[in-house]
Amino acid sequence: MLEVRGLTAGYEGGDVVHDVAFHVDRGEAVMIIGSNGAGKTTLFRSLIGLLTPSSGTVRFEGHDIAGLPAQRIVRLGVSFVPAERHLFPRMTVHENLALGSYPDRPDPDTMKRVMDLFPRLSERRRQRAGTMSGGEQQMLAMGRALMAKPRLIVLDEPTTGLAPKLAGEAYQALGELRDRGLTILVAEQQVPLAMALSDRGYVLENGAIRMEGTSAQLASDPDVQRAYLGVV
Amino acid sequence: MIANILDGIVLGLQFGLLAAGLTLVYGLGGVLNLAYGQMAVTAAMVALFAMDAGVPAFLAVLLALVAGGLAGLVLDLTVLRPVYRLHGEARVLLSLLLSLGVAFMVDGFLNWRYPLKALTLGIGGGPVEILGVPMRRGSVWASAITLLTFAALFAFFRYAALGRAVRSVIEDEEGARLVGIDPARMLRLILVLSGGLAALVAVTRSMVVAVDVQAGVSITVSALIVTVVGGLGSVAGALLAGIILGIVSIVAADLIGTYVSLIILLGAAAGTILVRPAGLLGVRD
Repeated sequence: MLEVRGLTAGYEGGDVVHDVAFHVDRGEAVMIIGSNGAGKTTLFRSLIGLLTPSSGTVRFEGHDIAGLPAQRIVRLGVSFVPAERHLFPRMTVHENLALGSYPDRPDPDTMKRVMDLFPRLSERRRQRAGTMSGGEQQMLAMGRALMAKPRLIVLDEPTTGLAPKLAGEAYQALGELRDRGLTILVAEQQVPLAMALSDRGYVLENGAIRMEGTSAQLASDPDVQRAYLGVV
Repeated sequence: MIANILDGIVLGLQFGLLAAGLTLVYGLGGVLNLAYGQMAVTAAMVALFAMDAGVPAFLAVLLALVAGGLAGLVLDLTVLRPVYRLHGEARVLLSLLLSLGVAFMVDGFLNWRYPLKALTLGIGGGPVEILGVPMRRGSVWASAITLLTFAALFAFFRYAALGRAVRSVIEDEEGARLVGIDPARMLRLILVLSGGLAALVAVTRSMVVAVDVQAGVSITVSALIVTVVGGLGSVAGALLAGIILGIVSIVAADLIGTYVSLIILLGAAAGTILVRPAGLLGVRD
């Protein structure tokens, strides 16, 4: 479904990720784990068109999407949930969700499914997004991404700034989406949560993929255990 | 005093609509359009020439609105192209310089070819009494049109999907892109709208006083002052600040003098920046 090859990207000061290759198959949940500064955000931003890659290819369902702007890529079926969420703070929960399906009118079935998945959004549909707690904002960001009816959802550290209980709730929702057949790509520092969700994963270090495998393989690797799972 | 306040509201509504066109473009795209007043004057001249050629007034006004919108589109497609490649402060500065260049060119041309032209839309009929004050019919018409336009703007931004899309770019451009909204297309749309608003203000203003060829600079300056006080990117802020400053302007002009009232308006803008940099209802700091 998604195939990335030789992706190199960065900012004016120089490239941050180098020659990255990975793939996500339909129906899979795939994680990219790595510490702060490993290049996860740069990788995702170049993947979904917020940053133009210096080189490499990104194919989604056969389309070459590398270098397309984000507003085009989302229409092709890839929704992105950034770590900073980028909600519309002065608009209500409902307005934020409705914009998720732009330019179409919000589809009532999709809206209902999002509200069922995040009942708290339903209770607060008239509240302004900027006045909600971090956990609620994360749910709203995920809900807004789902309103576009994506076939692939890409999330950059959905647990950023969340208390452990809320981080768990975010991943519980992702688990439900996976069980319904949505393809998921997630970057995460809180590795145990991501591992429980994902079928496979990649370890990103200093802007390059250092290791890959099924979640079970990665969980039993001594280096991964030491670096990301807190095993001494 | 009541008469002054009513006159202030008439002026303030037009200030507000003027500022709405300027503030939306700035809030949306970081573009400060100093040729704004010249867009208004150009539209007024289109109405004037159309009427001189025998076109009925209503149609001439429509032509002026189209001309204003087209002026916005032309700015977007030509002068602003290099501006769109920049971000942040550099973008604001380049837009300011280039649009100032356009303003000088348009002003120069109009003053050279048509130095004595002025648009006056005569509204027939005697005065209308409001709160015991006889108001000129032209003022009442101008205010009614301006209020209706504000109502339409608020409805558009609140209920129309396209209006919400424009707001989303003002609130978070990256978030807007992530839901599939192209900020460049929204900016083009708003530049056209802004040109139309400038034209509408010029035309309605001419129902109250003559709008002459030299009016461009003072229109831009008024719009800028009201925008700063109202808050960048806020239509409601533009309306509120417009009415307040309109009243202040008329009362000050009556009590002290016309020239001093302009200095008071500038002082209000400077004071707002000092006390409340985001303006009364600003979206961004």
